[in-house]
Amino acid sequence: MNQTDLLDQFVIEARECLEAIGTRLLQVERDPANTDLLNDLFRSVHTLKGNCGLFEFKPLERVVHAGEDLLDRVRNGSLAYSAELADALLEAMDYAARLIDQIEQHGRIDDSADGPARQHAQALQALLGGSPAAARAAPAQTAPNPAPGPDTEAGATGDSAPPAWLARLPADTLAAHHGATALRYQPEEGCFFKGEDPWRLACTTPGLLAIALAPAQAWPQGEALAQWDCYQCNLDIVLLSSAPRAYLEEHFRCVPEQVQLVELGDPAAPALPTAVPQVDAAARRRAAELWADQLALLARHSVAPGTVAAARLVLRRLLAWLVDGAVDAAVASLDALPAAPGAHALLAWARATGPAALADSATAALAAGSPDDDEGGGLPATDGNVTELGRRNDETAGAPANKVLKVGQEKIDLLMDLIGEMVVAKNSLPYLAQRAESVFGQRELAREIKAQYTVINRIAEDMQHAIMQVRMLPVGAVFQRFGRLVRDISRRLGKDVQLVIEGEETEADKNVIEPLADPLIHILRNSLDHGIEMPALRLAAGKPAQGTIRIRASQESDRVIIEISDDGAGVDPARVRAKAVERGLIPAERAASLSDHDAVQLIFLPGFSTAESISDLSGRGVGMDVVRTAVERINGGVELHSVAGRGTTLRLSLPLSMAVTNVMVVESAGRRFGVPMDLIVETVRVHGDDVHSFKQARTTVLRGRIVPLRALNDLLALDTAPLCNADGELAVLVVRVGTEPVGLLVDHFHGASDIILKPLEGVLAGLTGFAGTALMGDGGVLMVLNPKELLS
Amino acid sequence: MTIRYLKKHAALEGHVSVDDAEALAQWLQKQTRPTVHLGKCEQVHGAVLQVLLALRPRIAAHPADPWLAAALRN
Repeated sequence: MNQTDLLDQFVIEARECLEAIGTRLLQVERDPANTDLLNDLFRSVHTLKGNCGLFEFKPLERVVHAGEDLLDRVRNGSLAYSAELADALLEAMDYAARLIDQIEQHGRIDDSADGPARQHAQALQALLGGSPAAARAAPAQTAPNPAPGPDTEAGATGDSAPPAWLARLPADTLAAHHGATALRYQPEEGCFFKGEDPWRLACTTPGLLAIALAPAQAWPQGEALAQWDCYQCNLDIVLLSSAPRAYLEEHFRCVPEQVQLVELGDPAAPALPTAVPQVDAAARRRAAELWADQLALLARHSVAPGTVAAARLVLRRLLAWLVDGAVDAAVASLDALPAAPGAHALLAWARATGPAALADSATAALAAGSPDDDEGGGLPATDGNVTELGRRNDETAGAPANKVLKVGQEKIDLLMDLIGEMVVAKNSLPYLAQRAESVFGQRELAREIKAQYTVINRIAEDMQHAIMQVRMLPVGAVFQRFGRLVRDISRRLGKDVQLVIEGEETEADKNVIEPLADPLIHILRNSLDHGIEMPALRLAAGKPAQGTIRIRASQESDRVIIEISDDGAGVDPARVRAKAVERGLIPAERAASLSDHDAVQLIFLPGFSTAESISDLSGRGVGMDVVRTAVERINGGVELHSVAGRGTTLRLSLPLSMAVTNVMVVESAGRRFGVPMDLIVETVRVHGDDVHSFKQARTTVLRGRIVPLRALNDLLALDTAPLCNADGELAVLVVRVGTEPVGLLVDHFHGASDIILKPLEGVLAGLTGFAGTALMGDGGVLMVLNPKELLS
Repeated sequence: MTIRYLKKHAALEGHVSVDDAEALAQWLQKQTRPTVHLGKCEQVHGAVLQVLLALRPRIAAHPADPWLAAALRN
């Protein structure tokens, strides 16, 4: 498996983890005492974090890690689960999802993600200080600290007072180095097992000025010493560095959550530095480093005269940044040196002139032996990753072998195409048998071919069925995200809504299920916004304050039925009629003649909206007709039942699979055409005398209902009249277009056939009136009609 | 082997790795007057440093590394 495969796998798994986390978070919110749920949630987060560790996705890992810490506290009962906590976690997971999108698109995380990631992590960490589970009665009081802005010092947690650990550094060193950065590094207990060496990491800190070591807990004494495990890290390191903050962050990038940084301001400087002094301070620090570099350069054994001259120039230019006030004097003293000074003379001058700090740090760097500096920071990181990897492998090896195979959809689609061709190829065998008998007179051979055909036929059908099963997806896959949606929207609207999902294990083809997500979201939003009333109104109407939205999926023969019902106010037919007329969607007299049931269906008309004002939820008049179009695109239907004051039910009826289409084959003007079976109402023979003609329009009466007749030949611009049979009867195929039945005049009916419909592609793509083509068993091509396009 | 356990002291030399920490701790606890010689020690792992800090052996010779020396002196 190469890197890209691994990355793809990571993206897929991370998405799954995030989805599982989202669902679990909502479940835990409903049932915070359920430890199984909590453990499961924690496991998902932990898996995600582990996966991040495989790649260099630090921002992502940071956010997830903070989430894991928080959940760990909740899990062991030291923190109460609250709505705020759930909000913060959900938000963080949303952010993680965006990062995953970024990873999928670019294969890496944008550098700019670092800031927001830190904010999310800090927002989560702020919650760590929440009330313990014992005080569950009033968890809402412990509101999270507002997430610190990107410029706020991470170490300065809310207050400007320096942290207590700062006092562990020698006071004189602190006083001598204004603008240096103090850092507290508390390695985690198990860090030695990750191949980390906190001491080495601390010693190799860039620009190190001082280190103070202390045990995190007092060292054991006497008897306890014998039990002491020297591989449990018990170090608490505080250090001072003159390096810029970014360098320090880079140096401790593997353990950001174990490090606190405080930039020591000039005591005289204002507490809140404005942008300009910050730039200034950064420039100064850089200048100080450059100064130190020059010192190190000059301190070498042999220095070329050119180097000395260059160093002198650099030092001269740096003076303006480093020596406050007496710049001129310093420059003058530099100029006073002989024109071509020896390295020692310049070094002596630089040591004397530059801030004491610089000289110190330079000597320190020299003493520490700078050649090792570079690899020092990198080594622990690599070690850490390697162990992480190893551990992961152990985990997978220990767990029972996973029997689920993940396959890309395109591979299944390819299989589907192949089995389609297979079905077509096998269907040519009966023709071959017929030819063997009639043309070559080989009756015996024909019988054998037929026998073989039945075998191949059985296998092919089983195979087709098996592949279809692979493509089947439980409808629950799209329902998963609704819990979150309902929770968020109902909170925003101030309504109390409970979502009940039933039958989520009902299965249907992936291509049927996936396009449903958007229409269902529309429907839910409508229910939430228009359907469910405010709690007070509901109580006044004698209903429980909490509204219920129920999504129920079930299978009815070869259709999947999804019902979305709410116990809200229902749709008011009078209002719908009035609005439809007002918007000019139907004439007033027609609206008046509609039954209440038909009137509420008007909300599916394009451009219909009853909302007085446009909210961000609904009311743009694109709602329900989008739903209908989307559902009809996958050969489904949608119907609405509403009882005023009792609620609304939307019923979506969908095909189980789109891969195989059942068509009726008809013949007209010597050509064969397919008509999708689900559009066909009936096939009848109507005597020529029963057809009423008025100008071009022909109609007939079927079961007391007037049905318009159109000749298929006319619609296809074929210049032949429809044929009558011996009794003078016309073949009429009654199809449903929208809600109206229309009769198509054809020549012959040829029965039903299962075909694999291929959409029109390439040059044929623009052809209207056809749904696609299919290969027949005899090698012929069947054009499948789209009656709706044909008749409009 | 970067630690030589001698009669009177343990000599830590070069880079003392994490694997030596436990043996050192056990050796130091067995001694009546635990002593370490760090004169030739360039670098110790954090776990080894921890052992030295916890068990506080007498230090016969201080290491050259200023940070390590400072950490042990406190």
